[in-house]
Amino acid sequence: MVPLPLANILQHKLRSLLTAAGIAVAVCMLITLSGLARGSLYEIADRWDSVDADLMLLPRGLRSDSATISGSQLPDRLAEIILQEHGDMIEHVVPVFLWQVPMAGQDHVAAGVAPGQWHVLSGEAEVTNGRLFDPDGNFAEWIDERLLGPGGNGKLLDLSPAQLGHPDHNGLELVIDSRLAGAGGYRLGQVIRMVEHDWTIVGIVPAGGMTRIYMPRRTAQYLAGGNILRSTLMFIKLRPGVELGPAARAIAESTRADAVPLADHRGQLAAKFQMMFVYVDLVNVIAMGIAFLFIMVMLYAMVLERTRDIAILKANGASAGFLLRQVVGESMILTAIGTAAGIALSFVAAWLVEVFRPLLTVQITGQWIATAVGIAAVGAVASAIYPAWRATRVDMVEALTLE
Amino acid sequence: MNDASDNIADNGGCILTASRLDKSFGRGAARVHVLRGLDLTVRRGEFLAVMGPSGCGKSTLLHVLGLMTPPDAGAIYVDGQEVTPGERQRNMLRRKVFGFVFQRFNLLGALSAADNVSISLRVRGAKPDGYVDELFDTMGVADVAARKPSEMSIGQQQRVAVVRALAHRPAIVLADEPTGNLDSANARALLGLFRQINRDNGQTVVMITHSPEAAAAADRAVHMKDGRIVDQHV
Repeated sequence: MVPLPLANILQHKLRSLLTAAGIAVAVCMLITLSGLARGSLYEIADRWDSVDADLMLLPRGLRSDSATISGSQLPDRLAEIILQEHGDMIEHVVPVFLWQVPMAGQDHVAAGVAPGQWHVLSGEAEVTNGRLFDPDGNFAEWIDERLLGPGGNGKLLDLSPAQLGHPDHNGLELVIDSRLAGAGGYRLGQVIRMVEHDWTIVGIVPAGGMTRIYMPRRTAQYLAGGNILRSTLMFIKLRPGVELGPAARAIAESTRADAVPLADHRGQLAAKFQMMFVYVDLVNVIAMGIAFLFIMVMLYAMVLERTRDIAILKANGASAGFLLRQVVGESMILTAIGTAAGIALSFVAAWLVEVFRPLLTVQITGQWIATAVGIAAVGAVASAIYPAWRATRVDMVEALTLE
Repeated sequence: MNDASDNIADNGGCILTASRLDKSFGRGAARVHVLRGLDLTVRRGEFLAVMGPSGCGKSTLLHVLGLMTPPDAGAIYVDGQEVTPGERQRNMLRRKVFGFVFQRFNLLGALSAADNVSISLRVRGAKPDGYVDELFDTMGVADVAARKPSEMSIGQQQRVAVVRALAHRPAIVLADEPTGNLDSANARALLGLFRQINRDNGQTVVMITHSPEAAAAADRAVHMKDGRIVDQHV
């Protein structure tokens, strides 16, 4: 026989469909919003993890997640000091100047790095489309001569855009990653206007490196307006076999800066956005709550509407447990349909996000799908309890005699 | 096939007894006394008709006898055992002993005829068997077993309701105006079936009716007035 809960659902197709749709939207929201919040963040963390380094050197007390917007803090010469004092345990030190610039309709962190050290940040990716900025080091040589050569004091200079972007030593060159190129419709050789200068996109690199935009460090330092001989942070790669903890302490001591494991960045980033997760989770809780209130109201209306049916079952000796199982069963079926649809919908939503906002990442994980299923199952039972209790309280005589 | 007596033990020929039943509805000035110290005894295997004018308390008596609502005062004995107010025992007796036929059939609209019978059996922890098929055949509704109530005629719905009431072989069948919505041919067929199960299976039938023709099919008819039994004839 067709189970009564299923028969009741089929009897009221539109209402059942709307109820399941309500649950589907809530489940989709839960999976998609969580996947979006965490996915975008973890995508950044994954990119930082790709840097070929073990330690980050940061100004004392500054966290790596804050450093991304803090401009210049560390003297560049610390790189030389570190190499001089700890050369036996260090493979390379890479000063990086981080700078927020607008591209493709949103702000991005651009990494200013010496061209010879760019590969440390690129996550093993090569520039397969175009070339690296300042490939021959002409710009670096030209600007360093003015900075550090005779008469230079590091506090430069008043360079015109024409000087910065001179064909012989062009400092206004960018390498961007493929995802940003896709999102902004950028192509190789394109000249774009950014922070009042004309930049040429000279290379497109596969996504996955530390940032989406790379530029000559000196250009970023100069245009950001800070002290041109300072960087935001430095990545330090230890030689094989060197222990991380003692090395970090030794470097920190000699530089009076914090040397923190690169792996800490993920945790710092997550901690920084903790409130955002709380907000997203709160929105999800509210959405799920509304969905289950919706189910409860629907089931309650169903009980009121079917008092005669319930009375017939009771007249036939149906126990409270039997009636409860029917109402909970109906709730579970609707929730199962809604949850399955919501999971499918979340994949569609993730695809739509990728199509229309390609720089965002929706990370749909088994964990969040399981969480959604668990919440839905608990919610289905919880929202059925009151209507089920009302069903057990139906007065048989009243229901059967009111014709 | 089990006999109806399987569902109840022998008790000296008396299967259902009502003693000094009182039942009222409403409160204060609006209180209506429907049953007033009513006494009634139904013998095992009896086909009893309960007659009386509208509002005399016939349906309320059936509901109280069928343990669907407790009396305000008085006692009900099923097979000599007093029925306690607890819902557990009343539920069990409704499941095991009684079968109900309602005036408005009261089939579940979402289910087919066959499923209406099946769920009634499921509630009782049983499954449809050959007897159910036999009942569908006897009642002439085997061909509409897959249809929902909305797809059946009034007569077919009532006959399916009778199949549902009899499917678990109840010792006592309580029927509230079962022929009230039927044409005379269907009414005759239904009364014939009640007569048949009463005679062949020994099932007790208590039938509320306005109709003297229907009452004539019974072994005994009692008349109610103002909440009491005032007359009876065999």
